[in-house]
Amino acid sequence: MTEVYSIDPLIIKNPYEIVYKHSYGKTSRFFTSLSTGKLMATRCEKCNVTFLPPRADCPYCLSETKWIEISGKGKIHTVTTLYFSGEKFLKDLPFQLVYVELEGVDTLFLTRLKTNDMKKVKVGMKIRMKIARDLEWRASDVWAEPDE
Amino acid sequence: MFGDCLSRKVAMVAGGLTYFSKARKDKTQEELAAEAARMALYENDINLSKDDIDGTVVSYFSDHFENQLLFGSIIQDYLGFNPKPSVRIEGGGATGGLAFREAYAHVASGLLDTVMVIGFEKMSEVSTAKGNEFIALASDTDWDFPIGGFYSGYYALMARRHMEEFGTTEEQMALVAVKNRNNAQNNKFAQTNPKMNPFGMRDGGKVTVDDVLKSPYVAYPLKRLDICLMSDGAAVAILASEEKAKKITDTPIWITGTGAGTDAMRAGDRPRTKGGVPVLPHEKKSWYENLEYPGVHSFRAGREAARQAYKMANITNPLKQLDVVELHDAYTSSEIQTYEDLGLTRYGQGGKLIEEGVTTMDGDLPVNPSGGLIGAMHAVGATGIMQAVEVFWQLQGTSGKHHGSEKIQVKNAERGLIHSHAGTGTYVTVSIMER
Repeated sequence: MTEVYSIDPLIIKNPYEIVYKHSYGKTSRFFTSLSTGKLMATRCEKCNVTFLPPRADCPYCLSETKWIEISGKGKIHTVTTLYFSGEKFLKDLPFQLVYVELEGVDTLFLTRLKTNDMKKVKVGMKIRMKIARDLEWRASDVWAEPDE
Repeated sequence: MFGDCLSRKVAMVAGGLTYFSKARKDKTQEELAAEAARMALYENDINLSKDDIDGTVVSYFSDHFENQLLFGSIIQDYLGFNPKPSVRIEGGGATGGLAFREAYAHVASGLLDTVMVIGFEKMSEVSTAKGNEFIALASDTDWDFPIGGFYSGYYALMARRHMEEFGTTEEQMALVAVKNRNNAQNNKFAQTNPKMNPFGMRDGGKVTVDDVLKSPYVAYPLKRLDICLMSDGAAVAILASEEKAKKITDTPIWITGTGAGTDAMRAGDRPRTKGGVPVLPHEKKSWYENLEYPGVHSFRAGREAARQAYKMANITNPLKQLDVVELHDAYTSSEIQTYEDLGLTRYGQGGKLIEEGVTTMDGDLPVNPSGGLIGAMHAVGATGIMQAVEVFWQLQGTSGKHHGSEKIQVKNAERGLIHSHAGTGTYVTVSIMER
């Protein structure tokens, strides 16, 4: 039965659900490597650029890239603490987002920072990437923790 | 070379707006579009009948807010333009600016003589948190969204880096919020103006720096009052060729320049190249030798759009040559960042520009007299068109008449700029309008 929200103007409630069968394509290897404890990025040997998030194709020359393992060590480029979010993440609030500069990677990587002491966090702080024990096959399977 | 092949001059000849509101439950999207179109046709002192319009460009961002695909067709039908040509333009927050450029190109190329651009969005049919989630779907859903995807979070990261890089402060950001929110109190259509807008926020009105600084954090350093509105509403612009424009109105406003830039969807993928700033004619390369650019602190797409538009309109010193600007202040921090991208001041000096009052109504270059996205509205597909309408009225000298308050009018404004911005700076457009 249609749920009516208001009579004048007439407003009805319209639910809509959908499930996508989403392929990670050639970047699947990033996720499958996590199950062996490895953090992988891709590298274009022609342009000498390493990408994380990985790209199967280099945007500078459109050559195919190669997979390399990275250390997962790095530092905070910028940080924020969230007190509000989109619907999906309201349950996690408050939490911290960081862009990290990772060793051997040319791009910045967006991830969560998990720490018991948010007040100590600052730009330039050393971090190390962690991998979830139970993988959800999402970018949130990895996160940063302070390493100092 | 940009624009050299487009020989026909193009003018804007009419504009119309709806009242903007958190929720316009009284009307459907197409009814809102009709409200703005009626104003454009009947309240601009023009010699133009609806039948003289050759076609339309329809500007809206999301199919999700209403769960209706091909809404452009409903608009074309509802406004009675069938079987004339129409196209829908979408580019996130820059949808309006891109649609305005598209209409310009239609006329400049000679494809059509007179075009109506119809921008709208109705964001209120889902909850605010769900609305924010839809907006966040306009970020990379494999890599950025699952981390806690939320645009205020992304902009907070960029603002924090701007603070780190240049010493920008939360007080400077608060000054932008105060300027825009208070400007909106002279804008009859503004969502935060309950005195003039019957659909306005009841708790709207003026704010102080203290109000902004004490408003709750959403994502540090951004607080509730640093962040733009979500709105329902529509905006309409009519563009015409030189020959037609001169018959339609005694005060056509010429579109003398337009530019568009782009950057990586994931802001983290953008280069950080030392000395990589594309300098504008009034700048020196040596100013930026040690600046890593664009990184996540600056919008390369905005700089590129400005560079093209300035070149086309022969602008070599924007702060001196422009009289009014309406820019995409999704956040107070991004207004400060945009001052720099547009070359209104040097990179790193955006915070000082607002501190010195340069962009206030009494300053050398008023920015966002309408109140912008923070004070007036952000009904995404309508936003860039709203900016065009506001600058059009400013340059005609009719802002006071349309708003019912002379306080909104920038005196003797001859040249204006509109700036439309998507994502974390993925698509940006800049257009120049002149009396």
